[in-house]
Amino acid sequence: MAHSLERRYRWQVLVLMAIYMAIMIWLWPHALGASGKALKVALALSPVVPVAWVIALMAKRVMRSDELEQRLHLMALSTATALVGTACLVGGFLAAAKVWATDGSILIWVFPALCCTYGVTRMSLKYRYTGSLDWFC
Amino acid sequence: MKNRVRELREKHAWSQAELGERLDVSRQTINAIETGKYDPSLPLAFKIARLFGSRIETIFLDGGK
Repeated sequence: MAHSLERRYRWQVLVLMAIYMAIMIWLWPHALGASGKALKVALALSPVVPVAWVIALMAKRVMRSDELEQRLHLMALSTATALVGTACLVGGFLAAAKVWATDGSILIWVFPALCCTYGVTRMSLKYRYTGSLDWFC
Repeated sequence: MKNRVRELREKHAWSQAELGERLDVSRQTINAIETGKYDPSLPLAFKIARLFGSRIETIFLDGGK
């Protein structure tokens, strides 16, 4: 992917994540005290909008990449999915058996955990294939 | 898989980035192909062969087992 496109992608993700944080700090807490059900649902789901946008940007980025980059993206994504999915399965079984007391709000961390695992895996794969740790590929 | 991409690129006096531009792939991808860490897809291998005006089997050498 060209450096200019990569830079643009990074800026867009940065802005969207800033919007996400702003929503989580100022908007989302109002969901707890909102009166109407529709308003409650809208406020509760408001952080999903910037995250969904980021996912769409990520998909676009993968589509624009060359074949080695796509391979690294997809290998990292499948590794992250397997690791986080297994962790969720283990957590789910422990919670269901009442060994670990938790509520549904922990699901908020699934996507960030997926992103972190994907990022670390992609960097290590990139180092293995190209010998570079430069984020640009 | 061994290949002669580096040799042919140097013969044309192209940098990895220049070859990448001509093939519409990144410099890192060219580097990975040259070092044998990544085997290109068939369409990319044909593109490389066309660019250097050679047959695919003279660029990519099957080690055979």
